[in-house]
Amino acid sequence: MHRKILHLDLDAFFCAVEELKDPKLQGKPFAVGGRPETRGVVASCSYVARRYGIHSAMPMARAVKLCPDLIIISSRYRDYSKISKKVMDNVHDLTPLVEQISIDEAFLDCTDLPETGKYVASQLQTIIRERIGLPCSLGVATNKLIAKIANNFGKASSKYAGPPNAITVIPPGQEASFLSPMPVEALWGVGPKTAERLAELGITTIGTMANYPEADLVRILGKHGHDLSVRSKGIDERPIITTHEVKSISNETTFTSDLLDKQSILRTLRKLSENVGKRLRRANKCGRTIKIKLRWSDFSTITRQLTLDNPTDQDLSIIHAAENLFEQSWCEGKAVRLIGVGVSGFVPPIRQLTLWDELSGHENAKDNKLQNAIDNLRDRFGDKIVQRASDLS
Amino acid sequence: MRASVLQENLAHGLSIVSRAVSPRSTLPVLANILVATDEGRLRLSATNLELGITCWIGAKIHEEGSTTVPARTFTDLVGTLSESHVDMALDVRTQTLNLRCGASNNDLKCIDSQEFPPISVEDLSDGLEINVADLKEMIHQVAFAASTDEARPILTGVLIKINNDKITMAAADGFRLSVRYAPLSSSASLPISAVIPARALSELARIVEDGDQTVTMTMPPGRGRVVFQLQNAELVSQLIEGSFPDYEQIIPHSYETRAVLSTSAFLKACKQAEIFAREGSRIARLKIEPGDELEPGTVEIQGQSEETGSSENVVDATIEGTKLLIAFNVGFLREVLDVINTPNVALETSADTSPGVIRPVEAEGEHGEFIHVIMPMHLGS
Repeated sequence: MHRKILHLDLDAFFCAVEELKDPKLQGKPFAVGGRPETRGVVASCSYVARRYGIHSAMPMARAVKLCPDLIIISSRYRDYSKISKKVMDNVHDLTPLVEQISIDEAFLDCTDLPETGKYVASQLQTIIRERIGLPCSLGVATNKLIAKIANNFGKASSKYAGPPNAITVIPPGQEASFLSPMPVEALWGVGPKTAERLAELGITTIGTMANYPEADLVRILGKHGHDLSVRSKGIDERPIITTHEVKSISNETTFTSDLLDKQSILRTLRKLSENVGKRLRRANKCGRTIKIKLRWSDFSTITRQLTLDNPTDQDLSIIHAAENLFEQSWCEGKAVRLIGVGVSGFVPPIRQLTLWDELSGHENAKDNKLQNAIDNLRDRFGDKIVQRASDLS
Repeated sequence: MRASVLQENLAHGLSIVSRAVSPRSTLPVLANILVATDEGRLRLSATNLELGITCWIGAKIHEEGSTTVPARTFTDLVGTLSESHVDMALDVRTQTLNLRCGASNNDLKCIDSQEFPPISVEDLSDGLEINVADLKEMIHQVAFAASTDEARPILTGVLIKINNDKITMAAADGFRLSVRYAPLSSSASLPISAVIPARALSELARIVEDGDQTVTMTMPPGRGRVVFQLQNAELVSQLIEGSFPDYEQIIPHSYETRAVLSTSAFLKACKQAEIFAREGSRIARLKIEPGDELEPGTVEIQGQSEETGSSENVVDATIEGTKLLIAFNVGFLREVLDVINTPNVALETSADTSPGVIRPVEAEGEHGEFIHVIMPMHLGS
């Protein structure tokens, strides 16, 4: 039996959310992302902006050059995740077999639903438009690979100036012929380097790759050759993975200009640590390994890590460990370009509760309470409502 | 000193006192056992300065005197003697104890009894008589819950409280609390509250003998110690200074869920769960499921670890209240169920983060009360 796999992609998601909040943005060239003077990049851009050649991941400074009237909106990640969650909740109402691959993308396995894949797709599109007010596009196929490529293809083929709202269906049996004329780069796992190698062999379309002897591809590209050969035939057996095991939680930031001042770096380090702690607590995880990452102005990068006796999800322990690692790695006079903090080595967050918190020898209990109180305050009134005295300046 | 004793009596006496010997002390004499003639009997004493144990054995005294004999040499030797009649004679000048038994002739180098810490005789007249069977059971049900972590000395002790004709023992290691009440046959003149090292009480429970009906407990005022007197033995222990935490406020007064189940079935299920859980987090997950008109309620006890696998046991139970999932350190459960003598046991709790209360289900009219509180393990941060 053929599977019915859907690939859902919210059209220009961040921009669509911004338009939802401020309808005046409609029809205007705007981009969500960092400021051009602070090395910001485009996270998402409106369809009007795209006509100027602007695309996501482009440095904002370049985008402004391409379109001097570009309206720049700084990211409101919290709003985006909130709305993303709403969308995904609606998706989950259709089927529990949902694999969310990013904030605005998900695969669904609708094999068990009685309706056709196309019908489910249009239903979902209507639901998301009517309940949340967002446009989205869907690809429907027998596997994840084809569903995603179909969706990209459908969106790219859209002739409208606005969001594509595309639904692209590849019927069973037509996977290979659908892929055949496409350039090899359309396949997942074919970057510029691989494409170059393949071009040397005369392989530029997926169709030629599918007909190329697999053994030869393996000889030239190794195991990757096997994967590519299989994919080029439109075969992809990967299941929908509903649970995704997170192995580490980390956060890093690039300074707007390289930093020499130790106190400022430490302040950022603490902020990143708090962020990681918050995400750990949200994810209900405790980790034992604390890692920091430092990139100097010459782009050389180091990581340093240590292992704690007891797993933690507490800001303070992460901060202490991160500061400790930083002290060991910091060189006076060496400018820092990027700094990151991460926690890994997760263990199940099992805690033996104590009869008397203050007597138990686990002073953690008090810290936990404080942390919970701070988290609550910050959730209600924003991160700035409570700050470390050392961060007041 | 010259005396004759039966090997059996000597071996038994040494086994009682030797647990108080402190072999690695900076005071060499503490590695010895005091042997002294005492009103027609032979007195054996050992102390580590915190705990002292004395016992008296029947002997034929030919000449009064005393010395201290190295505990290990003495007990090992006496344990291997094959004849029953033992003759002991001390050369006071060389402090050498000659010990003969049948064809065995031994000389033991001793230390002068003058160097042994003086054992002051307490006035035991206002001591309190406690029924030995009660006391033994109380210690058995409470002492295991005391902490072994020397960082918090007060929790390594057992609180003893005496009020009129009621005695209470309580111990807690921070994660669990064991409390046992018992009536006293005679009323205490003054209320008593003291913290006795759990180890001393365990030793006391070990040395009381079938012949002992009562034990007399005395706390000489201002001395910081307690004396337990048995028919042929005496145990002296230092008290632990400091105030014992207010345990009464920890005992919940209500519950949302109460499960009554067979003690032995529950214990067996916990032991099985522990076989698996001990390799991992030591968690037993309990699924308490109320029954209906047709089906009895159940408690499912589950233990697992990545390495060994998993075990599940379903025990029929009478459940009052709502269903609940709760997790405990399986070792804690096993230890308390091990000391409950009633056929049925009750587990009461209110939530997966609230204390679990374990009580024996007493027959109507039974007195004596035992309460054990275990804090759950919380899954999730």
